[in-house]
Amino acid sequence: MAIANHHVSLSGLTHAFQGGRRALTALADVALDVSWGQFLSVIGPSGCGKSTLLRIIAGLLRPTRGEVCIDGEAPARAQRRRDIGLVAQDPALLPWRTVLGNVRLPLEIDGRARRRPAPSPDELLELTGLSEFRDYHPHELSGGMQQRVALARSLAFDPALLLMDEPFGALDEITRSAMRYELLRVWSAGGAAPSGRKTVVFVTHSIAEAIALSDRVVVLSPRPGSVRAAIDIELPRPRTQEMERTAPFLDYADQLRSLLREAPV
Amino acid sequence: MNPTVRTVMAYALPPAVALTAAFLFWEFWVDWRDIAIIVVPPPSAVIERFFEDPAFFWREGAWTLYEATLGLLLGSAFAIALAVVMSHSTLTERALFPLAIIIKVTPIVAVAPVLVIALGFGTTPKIVVAALISFFPMLVNAMTGFRDVNTGALELMRSLRASPWQMFWKLRLPSSLPYLFAALKVTYPLALIGAVVAEWFTGDRGLGLVIFVANYNLDTPTLFAAIGVLAFTGVAINVILSLIERRVLFWHETIRTVR
Repeated sequence: MAIANHHVSLSGLTHAFQGGRRALTALADVALDVSWGQFLSVIGPSGCGKSTLLRIIAGLLRPTRGEVCIDGEAPARAQRRRDIGLVAQDPALLPWRTVLGNVRLPLEIDGRARRRPAPSPDELLELTGLSEFRDYHPHELSGGMQQRVALARSLAFDPALLLMDEPFGALDEITRSAMRYELLRVWSAGGAAPSGRKTVVFVTHSIAEAIALSDRVVVLSPRPGSVRAAIDIELPRPRTQEMERTAPFLDYADQLRSLLREAPV
Repeated sequence: MNPTVRTVMAYALPPAVALTAAFLFWEFWVDWRDIAIIVVPPPSAVIERFFEDPAFFWREGAWTLYEATLGLLLGSAFAIALAVVMSHSTLTERALFPLAIIIKVTPIVAVAPVLVIALGFGTTPKIVVAALISFFPMLVNAMTGFRDVNTGALELMRSLRASPWQMFWKLRLPSSLPYLFAALKVTYPLALIGAVVAEWFTGDRGLGLVIFVANYNLDTPTLFAAIGVLAFTGVAINVILSLIERRVLFWHETIRTVR
């Protein structure tokens, strides 16, 4: 089968939660294309359905209406091919397992799924800077370290698509900005995806985070969420922390801030 | 002093002192009020009776402990299996949970004679009583434990398309261990009580029989010595369970905060 034009393609996506007597519309008619190897951030006010959107792409939630295509197929197919990695705000590590044990978990669930040569757990620990901590348990690690473990775990099958739901949301500001560049370093290391780099869909409510990381930032409107604007971030790569103080970066920040401030349509 | 010894001393010494003080007071009270031995024996008489034939008490105690342990394992196995089924199906929960409550509210002492009629005078009724008495607390704890799973971890397992089997072994069961240990600490001593009660009615051996016969003969030193052995066994069980728990649940908050 030919490679689809876009890695992820959403059209007419609407989702309503059945809560009590009335339905709560979280997403309304969302259309979005993510090209191969693109780092795309989704930003929006709290409760605009960002996480819902990500969970739909991950195949964890079936949308009320609309279509989701991952490489031209349904999310469930991509999930079955082990082509989706997921990192959430809660690292959700198993506390009784060591760092290595947590990173190995996906392979234990399905060892045969490694059709393409994926990096070994030890290589993943090396990549995420966790080698020294391989025999530690989660409660012995800081929040940032735990999130690195979650990242390493999500890469176990070397998925072409990485979905991240505010992964650094629970970290302190200093760790958080360090983790941005750590993530970019891991992302740049590439993988077996057809494009070389993984496609990333990154949900955040931090403007700086979105600009620093992304090729493209999508702004969602308040609930029910729909795409208000999409901005291409044309800052050179590799990105550095110093860039966050340059004029183009700050211009993008102003632009995004005003888009987020606009009254609900 | 080596740190292990110091830790043991720090935990064992205060209760030992308190216990000795209580015994001394008891001894003095019995002596001062001139209380007859058939009413309350002085601790010295109880201790003397125990050391006349410690092997006898340990042997009978070991038998009771054996019955209680088998009953506990049986009751726990049923409870955990049922909890697995009920945590996966609301229908079975609705159908079976009321029945489990009936087992809980029925006074076990009232059921024991019936069990003897049904199951004979052997070891079986004691094991069944111990199993019945330890069943319900284990069931409730296991059900809670299987449900109290980190939602993020649950979502992760779903996204990894883990089978229900993997979901249980790799996530739900380990998550429920703190609850299962808490249940064991309650049910093991209960199972011991169950075995003793069953022995009262039909015992051919065991501490229950010792207590029953001693009571009949107004042999209070033997009665109290048997109770003492029972109490000691209960404490030993709790200490051993706590030690195992600390090793197995090193990752859990309740253990980490104790340190």
